[in-house]
Amino acid sequence: MKRIAAIVNGALRTWFRSKTTLFWTLAFPILLMLLFGAIFNVSDDPRFDFYVQNQDVIDGQPSMLSNTFVSMLNETGVLNIKMVDATENTGTYIEEKGVEMMLIIPEGFHQSSLAQNASVTLKTVPIEVDTTAATVRGVVEQVIEYFNIAATGQNPPQVVTMQLEDLVSNNYRFIDYFVPGLIGMTLMTTGIFGAVGWNTRNKELGILKKLATTPLSKFEYIIGVILFELVMCTISTVAILIVGVLVFNVTILPNIYSIILIVAGAITFPGMGMVIARFVKETDSADAAANAITFPMMFLSGTFFPLETMPELLRQIARVLPLTYLSDGLRDSMVYDNASSALYNTAIVLVVGIIFIVIGSLITSWREE
Amino acid sequence: MSNQAVIQVDSIVKKYKDVTAVNGVSFTVNRGEVFSFVGPNGAGKTTTVEILVCLRDLTAGKAKVLGFDVSSRKGKQQIRKRVGVLPQDFNTFDLLTVKENINYYKRMYGNVGRDTDDLIKLVNLEHKSKTLYKNLSGGLKKRVAIAITLANDPEIIFLDEPTTGLDPKARRDVWKLIEGLRDQGKTIFLTTHYMDEAQVLSDRVVIISYGKIIADGTPSELILKHGGKTTLIVEDGKKEAYEVLKTKFPKARIENGDVLVPINNKSDLPNAVMALNGNKTKFGELIVRRPNLEDVFLNLTGKKIVDGELN
Repeated sequence: MKRIAAIVNGALRTWFRSKTTLFWTLAFPILLMLLFGAIFNVSDDPRFDFYVQNQDVIDGQPSMLSNTFVSMLNETGVLNIKMVDATENTGTYIEEKGVEMMLIIPEGFHQSSLAQNASVTLKTVPIEVDTTAATVRGVVEQVIEYFNIAATGQNPPQVVTMQLEDLVSNNYRFIDYFVPGLIGMTLMTTGIFGAVGWNTRNKELGILKKLATTPLSKFEYIIGVILFELVMCTISTVAILIVGVLVFNVTILPNIYSIILIVAGAITFPGMGMVIARFVKETDSADAAANAITFPMMFLSGTFFPLETMPELLRQIARVLPLTYLSDGLRDSMVYDNASSALYNTAIVLVVGIIFIVIGSLITSWREE
Repeated sequence: MSNQAVIQVDSIVKKYKDVTAVNGVSFTVNRGEVFSFVGPNGAGKTTTVEILVCLRDLTAGKAKVLGFDVSSRKGKQQIRKRVGVLPQDFNTFDLLTVKENINYYKRMYGNVGRDTDDLIKLVNLEHKSKTLYKNLSGGLKKRVAIAITLANDPEIIFLDEPTTGLDPKARRDVWKLIEGLRDQGKTIFLTTHYMDEAQVLSDRVVIISYGKIIADGTPSELILKHGGKTTLIVEDGKKEAYEVLKTKFPKARIENGDVLVPINNKSDLPNAVMALNGNKTKFGELIVRRPNLEDVFLNLTGKKIVDGELN
């Protein structure tokens, strides 16, 4: 155990002192997240998509005061008003269209306003899920205030009040999709580059040969390398989540499936790295070989974009890549809360991980042949 | 030094497909001895060391280290605990300090043996103990490697080409360390292609060429037996000196402008000097060169070793 601890300790110190490795394992994924988050979280239309269902219809036409209210919302210039037919079932509509903000003007709004007891209902996703909901609430409150003043010339009394309802949003933001993929990608690059680089460099320097002359066994060495990779993967994942929460208000949190997936990923990719390292002689070639494996996998496994947007052929390829299952599993567990799918993906990654680590361990050159 | 054999090698053979790297090699090494395995690159030195330290399996023959069979599982475990190995071209972790590197390998042995600070002191690196390995010169890196080799206070120290690639001063520093270890009674198995190194450091030398041992003995025994005669070198003597000397010394010869005269008995040297003086021959300096291990190798193989390669 002390020997394994020494392997982990030595590797961690080396990692911590290598600026290049620190950049690729910590700073790079965070920069990638900031970059992609900034690009894809900004819509072409700076206004907020805002659905309005005006149920106060008289003879097929909106009532005067409800129409005035909608006009005032529109005049703010902040909201991209999308009118929903009064006959639509709001629940179904919200679910089908993935609506995140909707205002419902109830039937009888005109009459209620005259009686100074009207109300509208604003349905938004919780502000902790999307901070734009808070902005929109503020805008609607402002409009109601103006409406009240215009209607009565004084404030209070209130003519119209607002009732708030939270929506369960199924329309995830890009960043929600991206962060688990980014974690998966980081596990892959950290694992493959770490194992390939570490093993190849140690072989080149004669460290592996020296260790093989000591009582350390190959099994202890491999366990040490895997534990080191696991620690690095944990640090990277935590760093990504912290930045995700602080910058993009990401609410996803690891659960049991995602923790098992992260452990499985931390086994799978070093295992792949060991297999690659067996066939690579020099450190420079090791980087090239690791790039040749990781780059295609990164883009074909749905790290950045959903697989559904890819051509059929690429989707078929993605289905044989372990990163696909790791990323899918992380999304299932961390974002979609889909336990059965998360379990399925976890099982696949775990089995693939064990296979790779066994093959990697068997073919890792330890003593000379 | 005692007569207790700590390494016994009996007709070992190592084959790689069609190539026989080690071909029926036999020798013994006694406790407390500095034993040098000398030969050009590719002669089979490193393969032999790697067999003895359980890095490679034998094709045929038997070998025991400290009484343990290098082919048995139990023997391998015992050997690894009790020997220290400096592999050829070994470098350790660039981003660990001298002390951290030594500690790292000490832990592989369960922290037995000398204290890390003692090891650092032994290789005279107290002032560099907190320096990263990558920031050390080649000579200092080699000293760290030797300290690492001593991490478990080994009974036998295997040093595979420990001075290859070092500048002359760093080589001398390593020699001093090896001499210090010899003075402490350590058994040292040294491989080298530097004949001068083997001659200075060794109690016994085995010369290997093309996987076979061609000579075995103390340096003086080998030189006496295979080294040839002491030679008087008349520097820059050219044809004039050659003409003067060849009548009395028929085996004299010219090499690169110098005249080389083999000295067979005590009177040859004054006779040669008098002959040169009597004829007022012009020349540079007179040098008496005793035979050494390089001559031994040359006489045995007809070739010299230059930068590790046969020439």
